[in-house]
Amino acid sequence: MNEVSFHTFRADAALAIANPHLQSAVDGATLKFRRDRLRALADLPDVEAMRDHFKAMRAATLANLSEHLEQFERQALAAGAHVHWARDAAEATQIVIGIARQHGARLAVKAKSMTSEEIHLNAALDEAGITPVETDLGEWIVQLAAESPAHIVVPALHKTRQQVAELFTREVGRPLSADDIPALTNEARRALRKKFLAAEIGISGANIGVAETGSIVLVTNEGNGRMVSSVPPVHVAVMGVEKVCPTWDDAAVWLELLARSSTGQPLSVYTTAITGPARDGDADGPRELHIVLYDGGRSGMLGTGYEEVLQCIRCGACLNHCPVYQEIAGQTYGHAYSGPIGAVLVPLLHGLEQYEALPHASSLCGACLEVCPARIDLPRMLLDLRAEEVARGVIAPPEQALEKSAAWLLGHRRLFGLLTDVGRVFQRPLLSKDGLRVPRRLNPAGKRRLPSLAPRSFHALWDELAAEEEAVAGAAPVKRAVRAPSRGRIAAVIGASVVPLVVLWHLLRRRGGKR
Amino acid sequence: MSTAREEILTALRRGERGGNSAPAPWRSRQQFDDLAARFTATLTGLHGEMIRAASADEALDRLGDVLRDLGAARVVVNDEPPLAGVDLAARWPGIAWHVVGRTEGDLRAFCAGADAGVTGADAALAETGSVTVSSGPGRSRMASLLPPVHIALVAAERLTSDILTWAAARSGDLPANVTAISGPSKTADIEQTLAIGMHGPKRVIVILYGE
Ligand code: SF4
Repeated sequence: MNEVSFHTFRADAALAIANPHLQSAVDGATLKFRRDRLRALADLPDVEAMRDHFKAMRAATLANLSEHLEQFERQALAAGAHVHWARDAAEATQIVIGIARQHGARLAVKAKSMTSEEIHLNAALDEAGITPVETDLGEWIVQLAAESPAHIVVPALHKTRQQVAELFTREVGRPLSADDIPALTNEARRALRKKFLAAEIGISGANIGVAETGSIVLVTNEGNGRMVSSVPPVHVAVMGVEKVCPTWDDAAVWLELLARSSTGQPLSVYTTAITGPARDGDADGPRELHIVLYDGGRSGMLGTGYEEVLQCIRCGACLNHCPVYQEIAGQTYGHAYSGPIGAVLVPLLHGLEQYEALPHASSLCGACLEVCPARIDLPRMLLDLRAEEVARGVIAPPEQALEKSAAWLLGHRRLFGLLTDVGRVFQRPLLSKDGLRVPRRLNPAGKRRLPSLAPRSFHALWDELAAEEEAVAGAAPVKRAVRAPSRGRIAAVIGASVVPLVVLWHLLRRRGGKR
Repeated sequence: MSTAREEILTALRRGERGGNSAPAPWRSRQQFDDLAARFTATLTGLHGEMIRAASADEALDRLGDVLRDLGAARVVVNDEPPLAGVDLAARWPGIAWHVVGRTEGDLRAFCAGADAGVTGADAALAETGSVTVSSGPGRSRMASLLPPVHIALVAAERLTSDILTWAAARSGDLPANVTAISGPSKTADIEQTLAIGMHGPKRVIVILYGE
């Protein structure tokens, strides 16, 4: 599977950072989303209290999730839907394939769905001889290019119009110009319209499940959610078990926050509530509705320190505000879920060992927590995952030893002061205006310049300041506590510190290069 | 019942914290002085179009104007108020009508080739500039989805503040399909450039009638 080791992660991140088109596309999109989000939320009275309410509602729902799911199932069955339960991806894909086969389906149209990405539904359908066609424009572009999404809301963020024109040209068999984006969109409309009308089955995710009526809610701007659930004779929706809420009041708050947090729209263009298949006498609509309730490791998170992650509504706000995501973009995360939510969720879903680098894809600045509509404490969970990596030995023993010595050293102020004093002496030949001039081969920071030690330590400055304040306050003047280290002590420390430091230094570099 | 179901439910029960901590429902705190004005402002901001009419009768006149301006030759219309019972063929003889549930023939094929779809709406949400359309007898989902133009006729008394007030006023069973439509279909998936009319209608025209 898509392992993301420290090594591959760094290599992919470097590629993303070196790609100027990707950088400007991500910067442009995330900046726009951030601005629009602010404007859209400002339109809601007491929006902070509303977010608190939303969080409380999500937490309370998870506290009795099984009951809400059972009610959801009862009501959905009463409305005439079929309800299936899937423990893992293999089960979920088998259920969908089974339904498709039952109806002799060869062509499946798909609305944008992160859950279907999670279970790799397209690959499974393909293998079963059923052609899946993504109908969200961005997802279709990514599918035509055989790539993975760069963003959970705008999957084809990374593609230029020229690349899109090439892909479409290949698909429609006519040369298309890259100059006119609305014209390209129109080509996609025409090509995909044919697929909608030809498909025997429509597949979607579900943004929300509403227990009181057994309804699922689909939210899209293009209309792909409406299309797949209205035009083909059979509709299958795959929904994570955590997406349920008790009442329509709860769903309404969810909807008030979802599009605003995501794209900065008050509501997406189409918000569709589906309650069972077409009824007797209905003018149109699918004869059959199947809802697949998908666990895929979610039940195991309930009651743990990671339960909060199940409150996520996949709005993408944490991506748009993450300084790390903005540099490395979605593909570096090696999974359809990227950004801060991906960094937490993917290791939980697919194994910390397989995605060891992801919990480190954060500066812990806290922006994700601040903007998350459900106030999910992702920074805390990133730290917890890192701690787990240490406990489970995912972090190699040499680095663990290095980090432990560093922690020990930082806990011993005198020794630390002494070592930095030594460092000040040794850095002299390497000093330059903007940091240390270390030979490239020895530089653990690669191309970047290492910072130099300040001429005087913070501790020394602090002591000095404290002394001055005391003097100003009228107390007996204190003699300056700043001591210059004696040459003898420096010599003693050099022997004790330089050798192990150099050894650890190289071990650390090897870890970065080898894995 | 399947083992998967039992296993998942058992696993969930094992992890659940239980208790009853559900907060009281959140109620809308929006205070719009003029629902119609807010609705209009939001809808037009979303590239939707807005026409006011004093009465249902005038709404039909305005509908005629719109269809004439479009040069519409094939129009699908939901058999629901205020359109139900109107003798469309007599009123607009130049147009081939498909009245949902009444006209014979393939509804889907007609919608796919229609110049416009005309529907009523159960509600209009002022905050978000949305109209809600429902499925049912005589009420096609595809009429508001497949044609390039969707014209919705809404009584002003159906205006409500937002989706929260809509949910609070809701009761009983829902139709199989309820959709809140907020302007024309759109995408910005190619280089963040807005393009109107991805899968759904390229134009959404709301005729709001009555006081
Ligand atoms: S973690 Fe929060 S901000 Fe990120 S996608 Fe989920 S709900 Fe949105």
